[in-house]
Amino acid sequence: MQKFFKWVASGWMLVLFFVGFFLFWEYSIPFFEIPRYILPAPSEIVAKGSADLDKLIYYTGVTGLETVLGYFIAIVLGLGFGIAISFSSILRRTLYPFFVSIEMTPKIAFAPLFISWFGFGLMPKVIIVVLVCFFPIVLNAILAFNSLSNELTLFYKSTGANTLITFFKIRLPAALPQCFVGFKYAAINATVGATIAEFIGSDQGLGFYISIVTGNMRPDLAFAGIFFLTCLGLSVFGFVTMMEKILIPWHISMKRINT
Amino acid sequence: MKKFIEITDLTKVFVSGNEEIHAFGPANISINSGEFVSVLGPSGCGKSTLMLMIAGLLDSTSGKVEFESKLLKEPKTDIGIMFQENTLVPWRTIKANIELQLELRGLKVKDYQDQIYNILKSVSLEDFADRYSNELSGGMQQRAAFCQTMIHDPKIILLDEPLGKLDAMTREKIRADFQKLWMVKKPTVIFVTHSIEEAVQLSSRVILITPRPGKIDREIKIDLPYPRDLNVKRSKKFINYLTSIHEVFHKYGVI
Repeated sequence: MQKFFKWVASGWMLVLFFVGFFLFWEYSIPFFEIPRYILPAPSEIVAKGSADLDKLIYYTGVTGLETVLGYFIAIVLGLGFGIAISFSSILRRTLYPFFVSIEMTPKIAFAPLFISWFGFGLMPKVIIVVLVCFFPIVLNAILAFNSLSNELTLFYKSTGANTLITFFKIRLPAALPQCFVGFKYAAINATVGATIAEFIGSDQGLGFYISIVTGNMRPDLAFAGIFFLTCLGLSVFGFVTMMEKILIPWHISMKRINT
Repeated sequence: MKKFIEITDLTKVFVSGNEEIHAFGPANISINSGEFVSVLGPSGCGKSTLMLMIAGLLDSTSGKVEFESKLLKEPKTDIGIMFQENTLVPWRTIKANIELQLELRGLKVKDYQDQIYNILKSVSLEDFADRYSNELSGGMQQRAAFCQTMIHDPKIILLDEPLGKLDAMTREKIRADFQKLWMVKKPTVIFVTHSIEEAVQLSSRVILITPRPGKIDREIKIDLPYPRDLNVKRSKKFINYLTSIHEVFHKYGVI
């Protein structure tokens, strides 16, 4: 019960902060005489944005599809490679250093190339999202599957259990918390990747929308686009957090006790 | 006639880069079936290394380990093993953690429900069966780990300072648990410890290991009646054993 009150109290603080923030924004525009083609007031963003609502919703769908598709492909590939590298010493000496060195390259620099190779459609965007999501997932997965405690390793060896049983009963559940660190990081990257890919070359989507309306001196619409993009990013992140709660509730509860 | 466990010229040298670290041996040890043997030595003397080599979990550099005249080549699986850090996993309840031992061994969990309850009861944890390990105190966790180690009724039990991180009272309680179990089932126990008192209280024989590289200084047969309760620990004989072991380690400058 006490916890509930605490939660309400902390929730109200956040709401108050946001209300204060938007009020400050709203009234500082006339106060500082900021021209609306530089920074529009929140009320104007809402008004102009709702006139463009159909387009915004459709484009959210487009960008959302690129994001989600790329993100899930990256999870499948990242986990797959992560597990393969953790279990194979040959891959650990070849692919792993290769991945680490590519991690240092800004992946988004490949975006123009992909657009020129694959055109303006869905595919190059999905590839770019995969690229920006894959590395955090694979590197965290490798870390996750290699950090089983010495004692647990010796314990399962002393039982004579085969690799498959050991994997599903010990190695996989033990690795999940660290894997989710990668999933969450990638979730943040996913919308960024999709947006930038659309900036560079596309004829639909929120990134395309924002770059066009900004070119037309319509920052009000650009902010409306950013708002939808934020919602999209929050949804992806919220989904991952929910999956974490479902798949590793024991880890969440552990954190709660420790903090 | 060979003993139940026969260890011959066993040595371990760790190699890291160009450096060779002589961790243990050479040593010869024979252990009878049903014996409670303590391996006692200062930290870093290689006693854990010895235990892992006996379990087949670590390759020796030279020498051999034989069980009933059979040369050990791969990890032994008819054992129960327990460490200072427990092997309870955080995603399972205490009961499910005990079942993990059975599941990994391909044993039917259903057939063991009574045993699980009984062993939990024997360490007064029967009311905590459905709790997660992080909800338990260190001592309770170690008692649960004890149940996990023993549930499949192993004939050989390897203990690597299982009480190392516990407070004095909890240690005393778990020592009594060990002793009770050993007296009933008579498994062969190899108990690695740096506590002289613990070694003398529990074991039928104490093997004293020198500082690194660990070699056997001597073996001392502990001729005291079981169960070794407070009365035995107050006896002159018990204190004499402690003193003589103290003197050995004093000679090496470890105490």
